[in-house]
Amino acid sequence: MLFRVGFLLVFVILAATDTGLAEDPVAATDEQVQFFNEQVVGILKDNCLKCHSGESPKGSLNLTTRAGILKGGDSGPAVDLKAHRDSVLLQAINFEGYEMPPTGRMSPQQVASLTRWVEEGLPWPADLAEIKFEHAPGPPEVNDETKQFWSFQSIKAPSVPVIAGQDLHPIDAFIQAKLTEAGITPNGPAKAEGLIRRMHYDLLGLPPELDLVRHWTQRISQPDGTLNQSAITELADLLLDSPHYGEQWGRHWLDLVRYAETNSYERDGAKPHVWRYRDYVIQSFNDDKPYDVFVKEQLAGDEMTDATGDAIVATGFYRLGRWDDEPADPKLAFYDELDDVVTTTSQTFLGLTVNCARCHDHKIDPIPQKDYYRLIAFFRNVRRYGNRSDESVLEASVREINRPADSNAYQQAVQRYENELRDVERQLTDIEKLIQSDLQDVERQEMQHDMNRVPIVSKRKGTLLTDAQVRHYRRQFQRLQRLKTSAPSDMASALCVKEDLRSPQPTFVLARGNPHAEAQEVTPGFPEVLSPPEPEMPAVPEGAISSGRRTVLANWVASADNPLTARVMANRIWQYHFGRGIVRTSSDFGFQGTRPTHPELLDWLAARFISSGWSMKAMHRLIITSAAYQRSSGPNEAASTADPNNDLFWRFDMRRLSAEEVRDSILWANGSLNRDRMFGPSIYTDIPDAVKAGQSRPGAGWGNSGPEDKVRRSIYIHVKRSLLDPLLESFDAADTDITCPVRFVTTQPTQALGMLNSEFARKQAGVFADFLNRSGGSLEDQVGQAISRVTQRTATADEIQRGLRLMDELKKHDGLSDQQAKVYFCLVALNLNEFLYLD
Amino acid sequence: MKNFCGRTRREFLWQAGAGFTGVALTAMMAQDGFLNSQAVAADGVTEWTNPLAPKTPDFAPKAKNIIFFYCYGGPSHIDTFDYKPGMIGMDGKTIEVKTFGRGGHKNQGRIVEPRWKFSQYGECGKWVSTLFPNIATCVDDIAFLHSMTADSPIHGSAMLMMNSGRILSGHPCLGSWVNYGLGSENQDLPGFVVMLDPRGGPISGAKNWSSGYMPATYQATVMRSQGDPILDLSPPEDLAHGGQRRLLDTLRKYNEAHQSTRHDNTNLAARIASYELAYRMQAEAPEAVDLSQETQATQDAYGLNDPRCGTVGRQCLLARRLVERGVRMVQIYSGGAHNDDNWDAHGDLENNHNLHAGETDKPLAALLKDLKQRDMLKDTLVVWGGEFGRQPTAEYEKGSGRDHNSYGFTMWMAGGGIKGGVSVGTTDELGSRAVDDVLHVKHLHATILHLLGLDPNKLSYFFGGLDNKLVGVEGAQPVWQAIA
Repeated sequence: MLFRVGFLLVFVILAATDTGLAEDPVAATDEQVQFFNEQVVGILKDNCLKCHSGESPKGSLNLTTRAGILKGGDSGPAVDLKAHRDSVLLQAINFEGYEMPPTGRMSPQQVASLTRWVEEGLPWPADLAEIKFEHAPGPPEVNDETKQFWSFQSIKAPSVPVIAGQDLHPIDAFIQAKLTEAGITPNGPAKAEGLIRRMHYDLLGLPPELDLVRHWTQRISQPDGTLNQSAITELADLLLDSPHYGEQWGRHWLDLVRYAETNSYERDGAKPHVWRYRDYVIQSFNDDKPYDVFVKEQLAGDEMTDATGDAIVATGFYRLGRWDDEPADPKLAFYDELDDVVTTTSQTFLGLTVNCARCHDHKIDPIPQKDYYRLIAFFRNVRRYGNRSDESVLEASVREINRPADSNAYQQAVQRYENELRDVERQLTDIEKLIQSDLQDVERQEMQHDMNRVPIVSKRKGTLLTDAQVRHYRRQFQRLQRLKTSAPSDMASALCVKEDLRSPQPTFVLARGNPHAEAQEVTPGFPEVLSPPEPEMPAVPEGAISSGRRTVLANWVASADNPLTARVMANRIWQYHFGRGIVRTSSDFGFQGTRPTHPELLDWLAARFISSGWSMKAMHRLIITSAAYQRSSGPNEAASTADPNNDLFWRFDMRRLSAEEVRDSILWANGSLNRDRMFGPSIYTDIPDAVKAGQSRPGAGWGNSGPEDKVRRSIYIHVKRSLLDPLLESFDAADTDITCPVRFVTTQPTQALGMLNSEFARKQAGVFADFLNRSGGSLEDQVGQAISRVTQRTATADEIQRGLRLMDELKKHDGLSDQQAKVYFCLVALNLNEFLYLD
Repeated sequence: MKNFCGRTRREFLWQAGAGFTGVALTAMMAQDGFLNSQAVAADGVTEWTNPLAPKTPDFAPKAKNIIFFYCYGGPSHIDTFDYKPGMIGMDGKTIEVKTFGRGGHKNQGRIVEPRWKFSQYGECGKWVSTLFPNIATCVDDIAFLHSMTADSPIHGSAMLMMNSGRILSGHPCLGSWVNYGLGSENQDLPGFVVMLDPRGGPISGAKNWSSGYMPATYQATVMRSQGDPILDLSPPEDLAHGGQRRLLDTLRKYNEAHQSTRHDNTNLAARIASYELAYRMQAEAPEAVDLSQETQATQDAYGLNDPRCGTVGRQCLLARRLVERGVRMVQIYSGGAHNDDNWDAHGDLENNHNLHAGETDKPLAALLKDLKQRDMLKDTLVVWGGEFGRQPTAEYEKGSGRDHNSYGFTMWMAGGGIKGGVSVGTTDELGSRAVDDVLHVKHLHATILHLLGLDPNKLSYFFGGLDNKLVGVEGAQPVWQAIA
């Protein structure tokens, strides 16, 4: 300390001397002033002043005043007027000693300009005291003011507006109040046929049969143009009871939790048993599992005292992300994995981008960096997904779950399965032994990865191994792959979270997010700006396999007192019904997110969601029975002039089918969709060789499903991060690396090419034509039927004539047969805008 | 007000128009007066500007297009362009040197002396090994970056870094950024094209040309130099003679009837237009890939008839034809699949590099000369290199194989505003790590964006709560020493 004081003293004396010099600058010429203003200031601002200005500049060096430059900082004066060349400033920008700026060398012109300025003796405008430099505004603090932000307030149901003389659905009362204020007359109700189609796609992701449309149209349409609400309620109930409801709404959830079935990176290996999580989600929606329970199971199902198999499977939530199995920096990879969990958890459940506070305080929201690491602390004991090998994944992320009651049958199945595994491994190693001595070091290393085994063995064909041996090896290898993916279902295992409590680790704030720069220690805690309770960590009993911390987190997230959880989910439900949320940025309820167009309505819905016992189906019923949902999507010039963005819900927005809906609807239209087979391990569609050619081992990790499996619903298609079904990809399926709250809806010629020319499209058009043939009927009837199958309405005479004309022309000019012409007409039907867009 | 995923309604229009020929799509619709009739943006506030036309860069660009010749697997810098005379005679000596590759961290190793002789070339006197006798004749047009570093010495993450700036998957690739920033000048071809080695794709496959969190419109289109150039491009054989036109006309009539009562829905119009664009592409793309239009002399120069380098020759020639037609970025993968099918010389260094250099030297030199002779080199930026280099020491007890090295490696750039005949940065006397003017992948990316007229520290895309940049939040300077 004494030393420091002394040092400071010397420094002050030196500084005083320098100040004397600075107060007597050489008078700058006009040209020099101009040069300073036009060149120097800009360079300093762009490259230096972000750090070297303000009250506590880096290295104590302030470059905003001439005096400051001459006085210098911890390394002495920045510029030496007597020996320009030796100036620290010039050395630094030439990367001699210091290397500045840290982003890399400045351009030669910039270096030349600063050099000239230094050499001329830092000419400075006489009337300029200091260069004005405005720092980007600092992050908002957690204080009484920022705590007042709308989404951080506890949820209270506002009273429903009373519209004189009208007895409105509560949703419509909120919406009508705003429309009235804006002087907008909303659209009337949709046509019954359109509404029935809308409801089917909305709740099931599939279209209705034409006779169902007719039946319900009769029930719903009323002579005065209004719709029969009790019939609509009845239809909604019917659809909500369908097992396919969970497939449609579960898919939305899978987008949010970045659901994928492989790990990305070099091997992009398959995640074991991951499909059970998908099935869990579908089943939970079908069961109308209360959302608070759904949340708790995913965050901490394993810690529940009566943890069911389902609750274990639910924690697969933690295991759906990317996994680098050979990271360059394992510690960084550990925190990257935790970051993935924090990102997904905070955005999906809370609508907060807490992840932005990993390296520094959140720049826009009042979320200090400490809050990020307090959230990390809840997950600190969670084991990494694995440690390099497949076996390590089984060890760290897989558990056996509720076995079937008949333990005998189970034991036998286990026995059979394990015997078979042993047998196939023995056959493989028998052949591998024959080439062991011939293996190069590099190959021995490669052999550790399954995917390299066949290529390395095959290389010895004709030398150490006979053709037959290699063939046998290949067959056995395929058998092994099959075994690995099709463990008997009675040997139930789940991909799940596990903790490591052998030596519980403290959690630290990491300076600049650097895992090697541990700073202040933190305990688990919730974002402070939400004024949360201070969490109490349970005592961890001897021999516990889990810390109980995640239960504390889950209970807080899934609490009715949490200001965000119910709001965020009510908004999501609204978004998936209407195409956009009341808050459009449905995973960002922070300062940067869009404000709700109808804040009172959102709060009312959130309160209702909680009071209904967190029932999602109750919310669907509520929304579907509103006039807002039932409105026509047609044009309305006056309204669209006043509110072109439809902020006020004066109409229902048309929407394009999602990627999965496009594929499922094609298969539905031609009668081949196998929608009865639900659940279970994922299936493989036919991906063209040209697409597989992009893989380092074309076809690796992509199996071949039987014909009945290939036509199952898209939610059952294997989600391989590095290989996507081109049809789903081009229609904007969710990117699986990061949580996806809203899908893109692009329109691009690749979609047209795929829908016209792909093998899939042409094949399905062929199946469609056969379907029409089987139905009998005249050609006119068949054309009409095809149009009905894609539009869910009766075809007009004009439409039928147009189709017949096309077939005639194709036969006449292109020499096509009746059947071929019909196939191409079917292809046209599958490309109709009306097929892909819902009113 | 920003939207969470950048999906305001205006963005929807932009998505409809950007990316794979999307720019063209919107441009086409604009010509039809369809989009121009919107005086106000869909959000009702901002004045509407045509998002589909090529965007204006931040400043005057030096390069318009980029051809990235990607040597997958990691070519050895000390055996190619980073001359290490001090290693001569050191073969087999065990020395202390810190290395980090797939074999982990090591503190010593056995030197593998560079296996090829070096000579000086050009006015700049650049030392180049006998692996690249033809490229050696172009050194006066090339800037070598000898002090490159990357965050990972493991293929999977290192490739993602070279292509997207991050070691985590899920981020958009350079080509996506370029098309996002500049749009495409081309009406009927994709803006970002990738060509693969016929032996297979690189590891992680499509992740290397994915648009990550940007819409799929910005991802690359894989193009083949033989056969059907683009997936699903060819109409069915029996519709090839006018049948498809009949089919599309019928489709259009159905769609127009559908639209008549929904006339305000621009998405429906966009989808109708997209079919016309697809139809035009079917004609344009095969023309672009028709190499028989080139003279015999050109074909020979690229080595099209040389069995060793015919494939790369076709790809290089096709790349020139594509940039000629306004394709913004072409990426060619030299090497594919695994092990010695690419530059990943863990086993026999000589066999491996003789093979891959032999396949690429002649076509790549021909490309540089052809571009120059057509006066295209001045605005076509050619980039060469892989995800990392290789270690000075042997990976195993025996043999010449080298492990990965991300502590120091070489990339080079030519054309498009690059200063020829310069070498930036150095590695130590063994090439084990960069020591002077240390460069990171982000500086390479910053240089590329800068040459294309984009400010690397301003080009950003809002996602996940923050403004993401290719060069990262901290920013990066271009490599000024390499810029003319």
